[in-house]
Amino acid sequence: VLLRVICSPPQNYPLYIRSIPTENELKFHYTVHTSLDVVDEKISAMGKALVDQRELYLGLLYPTEDYKVYGYVTNSKVKFVMVVDSSNTALRDNEIRSMFRKLHNSYTDIMCNPFYNPGDRIQSRAFDNMVNSMMVQVC
Amino acid sequence: KMSVPDYMQCAEDHQTLLVVVQPIGIVPEESFFRIYKRISAVSQVNVRDSQRVLYIRYRHHYPPENNEWGDFQTHRKVVGLITITDCASAKDWPQTFEKFHLQKEIYGSTLYDSRLFVFGLQGEIAEQPRTDVAFYPSYEECETVEKRIEDFIESLFIVLESKRLDRATDKSGDKIPLLCVPFEKKDFVGLDTDSRHYKKRCQGRMRKHVGDLCLQAGMLQDSLVHYHMAVELLRSVNDFLWLGAALEGLCSASVIYHYPGGTGGKVGSRRAQGGSLSAEAGNRHRPGAQEVLIDPGALTSNGINADTSAEIGRAKNCLSPEDIIDKYKEAISYYGKYKNAGVIELEACVKAVRVLAIQKRSMEASEFLQNAVYINLRQLSEEEKIQRYSILSELYERIGFHRKSAFFKRIAAMQCAAPSIPEPGWRACYKLLLETLPGYSLSLDPKDFSKGTHRGWAAVQMRLLHELVYASRRMGNPALCVRHLSFLLQTMLDFLSDQEKKDVTQSLESYTAKCPGTMEFITLPDGLKLPPVPFTKLPIVRSVKLLNLPTSLRPHKMKSLLGQNVSTKSPFIYSPIIAHSRGEERSKKIDFQWVQGDVCEVQLMVYNPMPFELRVENMGLLTAGVEFESLPAALSLPAESGLYPVTLVGVPQTTGQITVNGYHTSVFGVFSDCLLDNLPGVKTNGCTVEVIPALPRLQISTSLPRSAHTLQPSSGDEISTNVSVQLYNGETQQLVIKLENIGTEPLETLEVTSKIVNTKEKLYGDFLSWKLEDTLSQFPLKPGKIATFIVNIKVKLDFSCQENLLQDLSDDGISVTGLPLSSPFRQVVKPRVETKPINPQESSKVGDFSHVKTLEAILNFKYSGGPGHIEGYYRNLSLGLHVEVEPSVFFTRVSTLPATSTRQCHLLLDVFNSTEHELTISARNNEDLILHAGECQR
Repeated sequence: VLLRVICSPPQNYPLYIRSIPTENELKFHYTVHTSLDVVDEKISAMGKALVDQRELYLGLLYPTEDYKVYGYVTNSKVKFVMVVDSSNTALRDNEIRSMFRKLHNSYTDIMCNPFYNPGDRIQSRAFDNMVNSMMVQVC
Repeated sequence: KMSVPDYMQCAEDHQTLLVVVQPIGIVPEESFFRIYKRISAVSQVNVRDSQRVLYIRYRHHYPPENNEWGDFQTHRKVVGLITITDCASAKDWPQTFEKFHLQKEIYGSTLYDSRLFVFGLQGEIAEQPRTDVAFYPSYEECETVEKRIEDFIESLFIVLESKRLDRATDKSGDKIPLLCVPFEKKDFVGLDTDSRHYKKRCQGRMRKHVGDLCLQAGMLQDSLVHYHMAVELLRSVNDFLWLGAALEGLCSASVIYHYPGGTGGKVGSRRAQGGSLSAEAGNRHRPGAQEVLIDPGALTSNGINADTSAEIGRAKNCLSPEDIIDKYKEAISYYGKYKNAGVIELEACVKAVRVLAIQKRSMEASEFLQNAVYINLRQLSEEEKIQRYSILSELYERIGFHRKSAFFKRIAAMQCAAPSIPEPGWRACYKLLLETLPGYSLSLDPKDFSKGTHRGWAAVQMRLLHELVYASRRMGNPALCVRHLSFLLQTMLDFLSDQEKKDVTQSLESYTAKCPGTMEFITLPDGLKLPPVPFTKLPIVRSVKLLNLPTSLRPHKMKSLLGQNVSTKSPFIYSPIIAHSRGEERSKKIDFQWVQGDVCEVQLMVYNPMPFELRVENMGLLTAGVEFESLPAALSLPAESGLYPVTLVGVPQTTGQITVNGYHTSVFGVFSDCLLDNLPGVKTNGCTVEVIPALPRLQISTSLPRSAHTLQPSSGDEISTNVSVQLYNGETQQLVIKLENIGTEPLETLEVTSKIVNTKEKLYGDFLSWKLEDTLSQFPLKPGKIATFIVNIKVKLDFSCQENLLQDLSDDGISVTGLPLSSPFRQVVKPRVETKPINPQESSKVGDFSHVKTLEAILNFKYSGGPGHIEGYYRNLSLGLHVEVEPSVFFTRVSTLPATSTRQCHLLLDVFNSTEHELTISARNNEDLILHAGECQR
C-alpha cells in the first residue's frame, strides 16, 4: 500500500493524492492529514537552521501500527507525504529519499509548465505515469 | 489494580493533598455544588506557623481502589473527607452522624481528618461546639465555611507534618516497613525480610515516600533530596516500579520548581487564577526549606548543611528541563514493565506531555502521546473511551497538533454515539464534532468558500459534514440538519460524485419536507451561530441583466426639464473629475428608467451543474431602495444545462432608486437569498435603476387590419402596431383609432404627430388629418376607458408617366400623357369596398401591379398622466400606417376637338378604369360618368 500526496502552503490542501489500492482511501486521507501536524512541527523546528543547508527530507514522520509515514518538504514549503506499509522492509531510508527526489523533480517540471496555475490540483499525465511506475516498482 | 485514570492530572498535583467532598443523605445537587465550589476555592493555605503553602486537591468522587495506591504516590491518598449533609430535625441527627462514620470508613485507612457540615439543623445539638462537625442553618447562611476549611487544612497539615517527621527521623531505626502497591502484596509473602536486598528496598521505598510527604508539606528542596536518594537506593535493587515512582517524584518536584505557573493550563480554573499566587508561593518555599535544612533528620546522607544556601542546593538537586523529560521517559519505561501499573504509566505520559507542551517541544510530546495511545488498560467503558479520546485530543491541541487533535475529538464524538451505547449521546457527539471543525480548517460560514475554488481536504471535510448532518438529525434538530446538509451541498459541490449529488439532494429533500431551510441564523445552545447557506450554485448564475421596458412603455422626459437638469449639473462643459465620477456611476447605474406600477424584467443567465433536472421554485428578485413586488417564477433546468435565460419580473410599487441586490430561490425545499455581492464571476450591466412615478398605459386598436409590414424604424422609434390599408388613388378613408387606457393612472394629455416615411412620391394635399379636440374632450381618460380618435387618410398621388401601362392599353401607338387625377376635377364617389381578407391570388396580383405605390407614415401618440406627468415624463406610442395606393383611372388618350366656340375646345380624354369597381367620374359642370370595371369610355 502506497499513497502519496503533495500539499501546498499555506493552507496545506492536497494538490495530488494517489493511493493503491483505492478502497479505504478516506483512512489514508486521515492519516496524511494528521501527519501534516508533524510536518508543520518539523518545519517550524527547522526554521531556526539555515535554510539552504537544511535537509529537505524529513524522514519518518510517525509510525502507526500498519503504516509508515514519510515526509519531504521543498524550499517553497511544498510538502510531499508518502505512506507505506510497515511490513515493507525492503524500503530503506535511502530508497524513500530517492523516491522523494524523483517526485520533487517531477513536481518541478509541472511548475515549469506555463499553463499550470500554482495551487491547482495536479492533472498531468507525465506526473501520473511517474507516480505509477514508482508505485509499481515498490509494491 | 488501579483502574480509573485521572486524565486531568499534572505534575504539580504531586504536591497536593487529596480531599474528598461528598454529600451524605439527600442533598440537593445544586446546593452541594454551591458549597463544593466554595470549599474548593480554598485550594492554597499558608500554614500558620511556617511559611509553607499547602495545596489541596478536592474531588467529589474518588474511586476507593485508587486510594489503595496512596502509599505509592501520596497525592493519590485521600487524606481529608468533608461530608455535607442535610438534616432538618434533631431526631434525624444520630442517623446522619452514623452515615458520616460509615462514609469515613470507605477511605478510613488513609484519612488524616474529616469534617461534617450539617445544614438545616438548629437547636440544642447545633449549639454544641464540636471540631469535626459544623452546623449551619441553611445553605445561604454559612459564612464561616471557608474559615472552617482553613482550620481543617491546618489540622491536616499537623498530621502530615508529624508523619513526615516521623518517617524522616524514623529511617535510622532497624525496622522499616515495606511499602507496597496493592498488586505486590502477595509477591512478598515469605520473603526473607532480613536480607540486605530487602532492607535496601524498604529504605528506598520509604525515602521515596518521605519525598512525597515533603513535597506535599511544601518542602520542595527536601523532597528533591529524598527522591535522589530513593532513586539511588531503588536502582541498586532493581525495584523498577518504585524507581519509576521516585523518578517521577523527582520530575514533579522539578516541574513545580521550574514552572510555578503550573502545567495544567486551563485544567481547573483555580490553578490558572492562582498563577501569580503560586509564583509568590514559590518564593515562600525558601524560608520553609531553610527551616527544614536545619532539621537534622533530613541532612544525614546528602551533605547539605545549613551553610549552603538553599539556592545552590536546589540548583544541584533540581532537574534541568531537559532532564525532566529524560527522567519521565525512564520512569514511564519502568512503569511499562508492569501491566497493573497501566494507569500510572498513562498518567505519567499525560503529565509529561503537559510539561513538554510548556517547553514547546511538540515532537517529543507527540511521542509520549503516541505511547499513551497504545497503553492498554482493561476493557474501557464507552464513557471512559470518550474521556480518553477527548483528553488525547486536548493534549494534541495543546502541543499545536490541531489536525491530530481534531482526529481524536472526532473519534470521541463517534464514540458518544457508538452502537453499543444504549442511549447514544447525539448531543455530545454533535458538540464534539463541532469542535473538530477548526482542525479540519472548515468553517460553517459559506462566505469563506465563495472566493475562488475551494481548497482543502475535501474528502475529510465532507466526511465530517456528513457526520454533522447525521448527528444533528439524530439529535432531533431537523433545522440544523438541513443547514449542514445545505452547507455540504453548497460548498462541496465540486467534489461530490454524481451519485453523491443525487443522494445528498434526495436526503435534503426528505428533510426539508418536514422542515424547510430558511435564511435565518441558527443559534446553538452554546452560542455558536450558524449562518444561512444560500444555494448560489444551484443554479449557477452567470449574468444578471436589467431589461428596459418595451419601447411603447418607455418613459421619456420632457425636453425642457431635461435641459434644465443638464445645465444645473455643472457649470463646466467638460471636467475630467466629473467625467470620471460619471464613468463610475455608469458602471452601476443604468441609463433607462423603470416605471412605478409597470412590470419590469431582469434577465439572468443560469445553468444547472447537477446531473439531473433541477427544479427551482419561487425564484424572484431581491431589491432595495424601492418597494418592489417580486413576481416569483418557477423553472426547471435540464441536467447539466448550458446557459439558460431566465426572466424574473416584478413591479416597483414606489419610486426612487432601485437596486437589484440578488435573487431568492427555493431549491430542494431550501430557501436561499443569493446576494450578487457574494457571487463571484457574475456579469451585470449595473444593478441600480431609477423608478419614476406611474404613467398611464395606452393601448391602440384601429378599425384597420394589422399589417404584416413592419416599418423601418426611423430615428430609433419603434412602432408598436402596424396597420395597413389599400386605397385607390384619390380615395379618402377614415381610420378610427380606439385609445384605451389600460394602465391605472388617468390619461391626461395626448399629443399626436405624424411623420411620413418613404416619401419619394409627390403627395398632394394632406395625407393624414385629424381633429384632436374631439378626442381631447373625452380627457382625462380614466383607467379602462376608451376614447376614439379619427384620422382621415387621403391619398393623392401622381400616377402619370406610367408608360408601359398606357402602351399596353393603347393600340394606336400615339403616345399619351396621362394626367394626374386630382380631386378638384374628380372625386371617387364610391369608395372601394375593402377586399378583405385578401386572398393570395389577389394579393399576388396586386404585387404584380408595378403601378401600386405605397405610402408609409407613423402616427406618434405622446401621452402622459398621473404622477409621472407631474414629474415631466411622457410615453410615446407609435402607430405605423401602411397605405397601398392603386391608381383608379387612367386617361389613355388625350385629343382635342374644336368646339362650337373658337374660344373653347373640347378636350377628349379616354378614361380607363383600372379598378374592378364601378366608378363615377365627375368633372366640373359636367354630368357624372359611370365607368364600369375595366371599362374604357370616352
